[in-house]
Amino acid sequence: MTDVLHQAEAVAAPRVARTGRFTIAPWLYLAPALIILFVWIYLPLIQAGQLSFYQWNMLPTSTPRFVGLDNYRNLLTLPEMGIAVRNTVWYIVGLFPLSVIIPVAVAILTQELSGPLRNLYRSLIFVPMIVAPIVAAILWRWLLNEDYGLVNQVIAGLGFSKVGFLQDPKIALWTLVWMTGWKLIGFSTLLLSAANSTINPAYTEAARMDGASRWQIIRDIRLPLLAPTILLLSMMTILFGAQWSFVYINALTGGGPLQSTTNIFYLMWEYGFQTLSAGWSAAAGMLTFTAFGAIALVCLWLMKRLAVYDD
Amino acid sequence: MTERFTLRTAAIHGIMLILALLAIVPVYWMVITSLKPDNEIFSLSVWPDSPTLENYAYVLTGLPMLRILWNTTIMSAATATAQVLTGLLAAYALTRWRFRGSGLVHTLIGLSWLVPFQVTMIPNYVLASRLGLLDTITGLVVPNAAAAFAVLVLYNAFRGFPKEVIEAARMDGASHWRTLWEVILPNLRAPLASLGVLAFISAWNEYFWPLLLIRHLDNAVVQIGLQMFMTQEGSQWGAMMAAATLATLPILGIYLILHRQVIDSFMKSGIR
Repeated sequence: MTDVLHQAEAVAAPRVARTGRFTIAPWLYLAPALIILFVWIYLPLIQAGQLSFYQWNMLPTSTPRFVGLDNYRNLLTLPEMGIAVRNTVWYIVGLFPLSVIIPVAVAILTQELSGPLRNLYRSLIFVPMIVAPIVAAILWRWLLNEDYGLVNQVIAGLGFSKVGFLQDPKIALWTLVWMTGWKLIGFSTLLLSAANSTINPAYTEAARMDGASRWQIIRDIRLPLLAPTILLLSMMTILFGAQWSFVYINALTGGGPLQSTTNIFYLMWEYGFQTLSAGWSAAAGMLTFTAFGAIALVCLWLMKRLAVYDD
Repeated sequence: MTERFTLRTAAIHGIMLILALLAIVPVYWMVITSLKPDNEIFSLSVWPDSPTLENYAYVLTGLPMLRILWNTTIMSAATATAQVLTGLLAAYALTRWRFRGSGLVHTLIGLSWLVPFQVTMIPNYVLASRLGLLDTITGLVVPNAAAAFAVLVLYNAFRGFPKEVIEAARMDGASHWRTLWEVILPNLRAPLASLGVLAFISAWNEYFWPLLLIRHLDNAVVQIGLQMFMTQEGSQWGAMMAAATLATLPILGIYLILHRQVIDSFMKSGIR
């Protein structure tokens, strides 16, 4: 998570003073990590870039055929791609209340919480974070089952008609958003509570003496000081929200009903390992990587600025 | 005054209680369903009238569940150990020496999380199949033997380490290798251990790479075992919940003992 925090530092790490002569020792220590990252992340990234200009069905016996920009051209005109991109945006937008907005509100509203119960709450609301995604998929599939699920039985008991949480194309995407967010909400709350509790009480006390209202204190003191953490969580949501929902799409809906839950990451998976059009998958991957990479750099730049402002 | 105060306290507890219930009821419902006999599966009672382990017996005989759990344990332990080790060495290099290229290395390590797995999956898959790693536990471990978050977390831990101690070791003529193992390591046990636990949990819950690599139940890790089980017997709710509970128990066990450390290390380093 705070990978990203370190990132803000790393990206702009000051150039270390040159010693002039080359020392082999640090490179030996770095070798294991660097080799693995290179072989399994950076090299494949370059290869995916190349592959995006080829047509290939992934069979070892066939040779990739160079097609220039065709993969990109086809992708950009495909309605599937449009739907996947639009859904990707909905996943991210839908996650925001769960991963940022509600946690901010809860962290501020419950800041006076103390005593032995506080640790119990903390331990409980964190649990979804360590539950495996596929387990979360299975247990929500059961809870939300149309006929016998706990949720629908309660809904029916209250006199409403049952909801096809995973069957109704209007609802299915939001159901998956909820599952993704269920894992994050407690984690985000704890992270924001921790940040909120480090705010120097002298600030809020001084403001109160000056006659500031509760809301003014929140708006003018707490929110600005929480901004780096809020930005961090927002960035995580934007960059990874749609990726996190992949497991639920793959395990529960397969992108359906009527393509209503597919997203760009699932589309890449379908192209790659179901319809075996590796070139299309790679082209979609390069577009995604470029788009999210640009967003990430903007976010990191913003975070650096805000971090300075905080001091 | 006191009345308003208690009202506010009640509201605070109310909010936290709702969040806690949202988090825990689904997990509780999973466990409780797994203990219900077939004729009670659809009932809403919060405790089964006649609790039974028959669902567990079904899962343990119908699936090579113990084998799968064992595979997962080996895979997670190996991945966690490797990540801690490679992270330790890399972080040591980045803090102990000032050398040309260290800024670039730091950035490359740090930015590796930006590359979505779905982008690199096809070349990775091709490489794994060339190396004969398909359908093997080794294949699950090798690509994850180094992780950016491990390097970065340890880098921060190293930076907090007093320079004077390292300097003193050098004065005594200790080599950088000995300094690492005999001076630094004993003082970094706590961050290393919490990183190890975090890496173990992340590896245990890993889904995507095993999904690509694993073909047979005998070689499966538990996430893929669950996925296959769901595809085959999706409406055997009791058995499904028993399998899901078994898959979660080891992690919940760790969490029960180490919850404070686990929360801390997640907040410091990492959802992936």
